[in-house]
Amino acid sequence: MKKTFVQTFVIFSIFSLLVAPCFGEALQAFEGQEGTIKIAGGTAHIPVMKEAAKRIMTRYKDILITVAGGGSGLGIKQVGEGLVDIGNSGRKPKPEEIEKYKLKMFKWAIDGVGVVVNPTNKVQSLTKDQLKDIFSGKIDNWLVLGGVKHAITVYTRDEASGTRAVFWEKALDKENISTKALFVPSNGAMKTAVANDPYAIGYVSVGHMDETVAPVALDGVTPTLDTVKGGQYKIARGLYSNTKSDPSGLTRLFINYLFSPEGQKIASEKGFIPVK
Amino acid sequence: MNNAKEIIAKNVFFLSAVASAVMILAIFGFMIALGIPLFKAGNFLAIWTGPWAPHEGLYGIWPMISGTLWIALLATALCLPLSLGTSFVITSLGSPRLCKMLGTLVRFMTGIPTVIYGFVGIFLLVPLVREGIGGPGMCVLTAGMVLAILISPTMILFFTNSLLSVDVSYVQAAKALGANRVQRLLYVMVPRATGGMAAGIILALGRALGDTLIALMLAGNAIQAPHALLEPARTLTAHIALVKAADFDSLEFRSIFVCGIVLYLFATAATVAVRLILRKREVPT
Amino acid sequence: MQELMEKLAVFLSWTMTLVLCLCLFIFLSYLLIKGLPSLGAELIFGKAEPLRVLLGHDRVFDGIFPAMIGTFFLVILSAMLALPVGVCSGIYLAEYANPGMKKLFGGLFDILAGIPSIVIGLFGFSLSIFLHNHFSDRFGPCLLISSLSLAVLVIPYIVRSTQMSLEELPSNIRRTALALGATRLQNIAYVLIPNALSGISSGLFLAIGRCAEDTAVILLTGVVAMAGVPSSLLSQYEALPFYIYYISSQYSNPAELSNGYGACLVLLGICAVLFMFAYGLKKHLSYRMLYRV
Repeated sequence: MKKTFVQTFVIFSIFSLLVAPCFGEALQAFEGQEGTIKIAGGTAHIPVMKEAAKRIMTRYKDILITVAGGGSGLGIKQVGEGLVDIGNSGRKPKPEEIEKYKLKMFKWAIDGVGVVVNPTNKVQSLTKDQLKDIFSGKIDNWLVLGGVKHAITVYTRDEASGTRAVFWEKALDKENISTKALFVPSNGAMKTAVANDPYAIGYVSVGHMDETVAPVALDGVTPTLDTVKGGQYKIARGLYSNTKSDPSGLTRLFINYLFSPEGQKIASEKGFIPVK
Repeated sequence: MNNAKEIIAKNVFFLSAVASAVMILAIFGFMIALGIPLFKAGNFLAIWTGPWAPHEGLYGIWPMISGTLWIALLATALCLPLSLGTSFVITSLGSPRLCKMLGTLVRFMTGIPTVIYGFVGIFLLVPLVREGIGGPGMCVLTAGMVLAILISPTMILFFTNSLLSVDVSYVQAAKALGANRVQRLLYVMVPRATGGMAAGIILALGRALGDTLIALMLAGNAIQAPHALLEPARTLTAHIALVKAADFDSLEFRSIFVCGIVLYLFATAATVAVRLILRKREVPT
Repeated sequence: MQELMEKLAVFLSWTMTLVLCLCLFIFLSYLLIKGLPSLGAELIFGKAEPLRVLLGHDRVFDGIFPAMIGTFFLVILSAMLALPVGVCSGIYLAEYANPGMKKLFGGLFDILAGIPSIVIGLFGFSLSIFLHNHFSDRFGPCLLISSLSLAVLVIPYIVRSTQMSLEELPSNIRRTALALGATRLQNIAYVLIPNALSGISSGLFLAIGRCAEDTAVILLTGVVAMAGVPSSLLSQYEALPFYIYYISSQYSNPAELSNGYGACLVLLGICAVLFMFAYGLKKHLSYRMLYRV
């Protein structure tokens, strides 16, 4: 009787020790905590934020995490003004922003910004000059590039977007974007817009790319996770979560969670390159 | 004791009314207060007539004013024949049962949320326009069409009301002289109801000018002023919804308050015009 | 010639009516075809169990339950804020004001009713910035600010419906109590208001319907894409109209899009019911108010 009990106990303990990492010791840090974390900013970060929030909130009912978009500019501004606890940005905060808000930056993943077109589009490779001409409006029909005879619909993001800032600086070399370009408010919206419009061209976070859109090779290099990681695709940026001066309490725990093995795994599952 | 209660009650009621009325002025005041930095920093004229290019320091809202006017005027123009026809049928041409059904239908339409019109518009109308007519699909035409449907109940009910409020003695006199239904409608009722109908058009136009979601979802939000029906555009309302994300102290952000001022003035002008017309014509409202 | 014009007018009128009905038919059937399949417990509660969610044990992540609760709270709060002020203002305008005041206030309320909803949202947003900078860091766009803004949006409906239903009461009802010695206040409280109740509640339903469907105001004053069930007045929240707007611009898979259609049907159902109630209660009263909708 006693022997069976001991046996069961040993087996159970070994089993739980094997299973425990699945629950993630990172989550354990939140044990006994309660409160709210408000997150806003970069739209590229949203899938990771939502997944992390979901895991934490499912396990610990007393914690509430709200996630909003709005773009990198909004994230930096709102965390600086104290309206949110964590402000995400898809670009590195500028020195004057860091100075003004006493920001502390945490880069937990690397992402690329790639050009995308609708999967039905035959044109899936461009040179940088062609790209600049398309976005500025000089080339305005797909026929010129070997595609169907239809006007090119350019999609772009608003000024607050970090994705836009990186794309404009590194892919367009700071050239103008046509005033006829249609505006979409987030990476997710850009993906949906391009997926639904056969004549569209836009730019989106590499992490957001899936089979509903087709990546466009720039000067021969296709934007994928590997080419960004390997450095061949040069249009890349870090994903930052910023806080106002040193984070504490729940916010600190959340940032730690992003850097934990589990958090980094979420990042890579969502299509980004973890830093660790 | 009773007297005190009376006086208190009267004052409470009065204050409520004043509080509500003060809101109107407060709204305008906030807009001006928060929009002032933009006026101070830039050329006053440039704000109303210049292009929108924040990274070059240009904060003109003319493209948005233009977009608003294009879409709202198109919507009103498309809505007018629709509403005229339907109100003619409801007031004169249809059988009583049909009229009742149509009336219920139109009243039902007023309850349809704007966002749902936009949702269906994105997935049903935009591809149709893009493939069937041309252009990016999200343009002035698409937004104008859906907006026309949105404001039609307002116009129809207003037209119907005006037509039915025509003094019945005129209509009966015409009937006695041998006029049939159509003739009574066209030559007696409509001429006497033009005041009310004008008011209805202005009201619908005001509603079209102030709508946010349709233009936000269907017109593309490009920063240029549109020059053709198939070009994308941005309205003042959509601009406010899009730019709220910017830096609070930046001039870009201040522009949304200027947009708010313009919208406020448009709406007030429309309301005042309607009140003047209705009062002049003495159409019972 | 004249006869030709008349025939043309008749023909065009019927054609236009047909066009309108056709548009509406296509619109509704498209929604129903796309949305009916997704109606069900999974639309609302996602992968969580309904009973556990309702008891507060589980959170919903892929359903519209938080959005529905958010809209519900929003509507209740706005109604609570707008109803007293609106009814009192209406009473004042109907019973106490002289013609000059009536015209002035009438004009002001008409202007308020005509202001685009996004401008009112902008006002709420500026209010929250003002409060944030001058009073407490905890203020920001939230449920409270949204409710205040929505209340400002719908007060004209309530004022006008109260005023009109009071003014329409026949004079014998109005004068009987007074003749028996009641004070003005007693007359209002015990006789006039109860008789005008159907008109006032009609206005209330119209206001509630307006709050439930409005997107522009909440867009600027605190609605977010993911927030769970609102935990306090100063918290951000989700709402049904915003959910629909959000899904329309960024859905990650067909299931989410299907949810969007389902949410459209739910919102349409809620608003249609509210508006039809409003009309049922006081039919011709709604005609006059209607042109402001």
